[in-house]
Amino acid sequence: MPRAVRGLLIECDPSIKAMILKYDEERHDYIVEDLDDENHLVIKESQLQSLKARLDQDLDEKIMQLDDSESE
Amino acid sequence: MAAPTSRSLEYLEGLPGTTFFKLYQQPSTALAIFRRMLPDLAKCFVMALLYLKDPLPTQDLELWVKTESKKQRDNALSILGRLHILSTTLTGENARAYMVTNPFASSLRQALMGSEDSQSFGVFSQAPGESLISIADLDEYARGRWESVLGYMVGTSALSGQRDVNLSKGVKQLLQAGHLVEIRDRRVDITKDGFGFVLQDVNTQVWHILILYVESAEAIGMDSVEVLSFLFLLSSLELGQSYEKEQLSSVQLRTLADLADFGIIYQETPEATRFYPTRLATTLTSDSSALSSTVGSSLTGASAHPGASGSGFIIIETNYRLYAYTSSPLQISLISLFTTLKYRFPNLVTGKITRQSVRRAIDMGITADQIISYLYSHAHTQLRKRDASLSTSNTTSIPPSVLPPTVTDQIRLWQLERDRLRATAGFLFKDFTSLQEYQAPCQYAAEIGVLVWKSDRKRMFFVTRHEQVAAFLRSKK
Repeated sequence: MPRAVRGLLIECDPSIKAMILKYDEERHDYIVEDLDDENHLVIKESQLQSLKARLDQDLDEKIMQLDDSESE
Repeated sequence: MAAPTSRSLEYLEGLPGTTFFKLYQQPSTALAIFRRMLPDLAKCFVMALLYLKDPLPTQDLELWVKTESKKQRDNALSILGRLHILSTTLTGENARAYMVTNPFASSLRQALMGSEDSQSFGVFSQAPGESLISIADLDEYARGRWESVLGYMVGTSALSGQRDVNLSKGVKQLLQAGHLVEIRDRRVDITKDGFGFVLQDVNTQVWHILILYVESAEAIGMDSVEVLSFLFLLSSLELGQSYEKEQLSSVQLRTLADLADFGIIYQETPEATRFYPTRLATTLTSDSSALSSTVGSSLTGASAHPGASGSGFIIIETNYRLYAYTSSPLQISLISLFTTLKYRFPNLVTGKITRQSVRRAIDMGITADQIISYLYSHAHTQLRKRDASLSTSNTTSIPPSVLPPTVTDQIRLWQLERDRLRATAGFLFKDFTSLQEYQAPCQYAAEIGVLVWKSDRKRMFFVTRHEQVAAFLRSKK
């Protein structure tokens, strides 16, 4: 019997998807369905903002920035 | 200059047919729509059909356009149809034929050939002109007004202190109603829409405001059609001329007073017997982008330097340093939205576009394209000159660019970095028992254009809307 589930389809790089999967392991509160390809998954609609904020924060910490000094 | 056209066009297309019927009664409206809203090919069609006695069979019209330009032809015809300018009828031989609809056709003919005593294009003031206003004064007035509106939005009025003009209550309410600003704790906060707005070119901004005005006109008891057709009238007036107010209706007089607050028209006092359109009004429906770019710069940056009129003021180097020759608090605060400013001199501010500053802007809701188009439209003549010499010396087909490509690309990349994921709201269909059961609804979803993603292997697909697909599934049972 087919079912329909409400959610947000997320399209992203494999690296980002890996991070989302890792977040979800903690409390299983993000993912509705892992779509088993490299760059898609479905998450809960209500979680988008917090997910984005968390991603941005982590990316800021982890990605090394070249030439980001504001000096001359 | 496609943006203002599309914005006003979109609004017009949303109007009901009866509104068009009333609008097209005025020759000035017909002419303004013809001049401003139509693509060139559509203008050709209208001109060719305007003086024909009988409707022209569709096949004949199709012959005028080469087959490889079919897309442009269909686009032109569809715009003409949506604006209720062209209609199809049947000829005597039962063939489909095009004709220009009537209030539009007769009004446009009247606009082109003139008529006895039409007041559709305003009436020149005959009063002895001891206090004639020069075009330069009008520009100065319009600029001051418009800048104070923008300044109010970005909150510079507090900075510069003596900004001479106080905005009327109506202006503030309109900006609020259009969600360009929000009032929180009696403080003015600009919204995301507002940020987009202030970075646009002046002509687009004026259209945006005017459409908001027309939309809100009904609420304060004015006939929106009358207001709209009055705007078209204003747009066809001549810069530097004064016009009589005597023949105007009460609605038009009220509109006039409101538009004076924006600097779109000028009158010495609200009781004066005549008014002047400013450049903001007369370029509304003009097609010449050169004119509007002059307005753009004369209205914004270069005004502080009369010598450099008609040119931009921003120089940006390949190392992301930015030099802006301006002393306008408005421009400085606009630039500071996406630049880390470093030094400020009496006529120059310098800064650097950094990853941080661009991200800050993007967090506020400004897009990379808005930043780039702002930089482009205010680029200094030196940048444009360099560009011209490059494009003549080098004949390869590298598209000329005024701004350093490294900078524009990097701004876009910084935005992309921010958008690491793309989210689409919708519904996931799953748990299909067989491949056949999965394929039919999936294909159906693709046909009606709601399918976003599918996986044959997992027998799942994702759609933006589920109602039709669900109904399809039920009907299959």
